[in-house]
Amino acid sequence: MLSLLSLSKTYPSGVEALSNFDLEIRPGEIVAVIGGSGCGKSTLLRVISGLEPATLGQVRIHGEEVTAPHPLINLIFQEPRLLPWLTVEQNISFGIRHLDAREQGRRVRGVLQQVQLQGYETRLPKELSGGQAQRVAIARALVTQPEVLLLDEPFSALDAMTRGSLQRHLLHIWRETAATIVIVTHDIEEAAALAHRVVVMRPSPGTMLEEITIDLPLPRNELEADLDPFKKRIRTALHRSLAYADGTDLMLV
Amino acid sequence: MTAADLSSEKQRLSGGKSGYRLRWSAFSGLLIALVLPVSGFAVWQLLVSSGFASGRLVPPPSRILSALWQLQQTGELSHHLVATCLRVLSGFAAGAVAGIILGGVTGYFRPARRLLDPTLQALRAIPSIAWVPLFILWFGIFETSKVTLIAVGVFFPVYLGVSASLVSVDRKIVEVGRIFRLSGFEMVRRILFPAILPALVVSLRTGLGLGWMFVVAAEFMGASEGLGYLLVDGQQLGKPDQIVAAILVFAILGKLSDGLLVLLTAPLTAWQDNYQKERK
Ligand SMILES: Nc1ncnc2c1ncn2[C@@H]1O[C@H](COP(=O)(O)OP(=O)(O)OP(=O)(O)O)[C@@H](O)[C@H]1O
Ligand SMILES: [Mg+2]
Repeated sequence: MLSLLSLSKTYPSGVEALSNFDLEIRPGEIVAVIGGSGCGKSTLLRVISGLEPATLGQVRIHGEEVTAPHPLINLIFQEPRLLPWLTVEQNISFGIRHLDAREQGRRVRGVLQQVQLQGYETRLPKELSGGQAQRVAIARALVTQPEVLLLDEPFSALDAMTRGSLQRHLLHIWRETAATIVIVTHDIEEAAALAHRVVVMRPSPGTMLEEITIDLPLPRNELEADLDPFKKRIRTALHRSLAYADGTDLMLV
Repeated sequence: MTAADLSSEKQRLSGGKSGYRLRWSAFSGLLIALVLPVSGFAVWQLLVSSGFASGRLVPPPSRILSALWQLQQTGELSHHLVATCLRVLSGFAAGAVAGIILGGVTGYFRPARRLLDPTLQALRAIPSIAWVPLFILWFGIFETSKVTLIAVGVFFPVYLGVSASLVSVDRKIVEVGRIFRLSGFEMVRRILFPAILPALVVSLRTGLGLGWMFVVAAEFMGASEGLGYLLVDGQQLGKPDQIVAAILVFAILGKLSDGLLVLLTAPLTAWQDNYQKERK
């Protein structure tokens, strides 16, 4: 159980990026957070991951307060952020160096298969495509067997086909690991295809505007028509959130 | 793994054609690099041999080589060479170690940077040669003052390179370390150190270059051995061929030591995604 209790984050510059954000996330649930640019989505994930301290409020996992990066929570950034001097294999085992070599090897092989990159072990990051690099980043997080996986627009830099395939990968991983997933996106299709619950955010200050539960089974490839009403609700909420933008810095993408 | 991957892998393993091409490109690089000095020497030799130039103050290559040969025959050359190399080596080692440690401390700890960096920058602004009289008073005329001067020359570029590159390590990869909960020491060893390695190599090369520069200054201030002594000796006894011979040895030593440093550190920075590497 992941609980966000009236989370607020005001940056030293005075920007109120997050204000009174409340959310209870069940184990194994997939939550998509959607909203215009600058409404505090990345801030939300950074606070949950413990990278950024909350100004007010708490993040709790199994009742325990998170104040610094936590072993059960992992964050995947928008860019792969692989360490350029390590091979794919070394990048993936980056977070499990405390395990013995055999266990490391076993786990790395396991996640390499999950993201379908067998045979790429000895490549350097500069020898990977964007989609492959992002898969390595996902594998690097998965290999620590986190209970909570936070993803900050992980596929937004990729073309539609790669994005679709990585979304399927993510669902596949979710089924195998039963991880709790919070994925930030500004793509309505992506939110509707993946999430049990979609949280629409509004800006200035960043907080929750609306929560939309999608009670359709995953994966939803065959359910295009059933998804339409949900997408429409998300779109309407997003348009409402626009009204809160103070100026031109918020755009729907 | 696809078939294309496999075949490129095979080629890499066997060395194959690409290995041959690599050796040829290194060789041709050497040839191209030699064009200018060799043709310069040849032209000068011709001018002197044919009587167009006297070659008294700028001796032709034949005289330089014979001067070198004579110095070698008497065992003087290797004696002076070893003396100079030892000075540069010990000064470089001391300066580099100090630069890495102080640069690391100031780059990593903000309070240390605020405390130490302004003073060190002020010291850096002093032309290092200005220290010579003081070093002689402190450490005497022999090895210690010479090695200290070289170490000071090497210290500053290394200090600056390490400190500045540490401060500018990308926050994004540091955050990766934080997400995986690295301790302070692990953060240094697994993220910060590899990230600054390329900058460290560059600053070591700069430092080494300065080391060769300062060894001459050090040997000018009174030495009974070393290549710098050969220069002074050549000037006092009016032997331009000995001077140019010593200069030539400096050029070769400087280039060789720099090449060695690059060669030794190349595997450490091979991961870099350089555009020059792509063009090859
Ligand atoms: N380190 C920081 N210091 C000060 N202000 C910040 C910082 N990071 C973000 N902000 C501000 O906080 C607000 C929320 O930023 P955040 O990055 O969370 O938005 P976002 O929803 O992720 O936007 P995008 O969709 O463009 O990624 C913005 O107004 C931004 O300018
Ligand atoms: Mg963002």
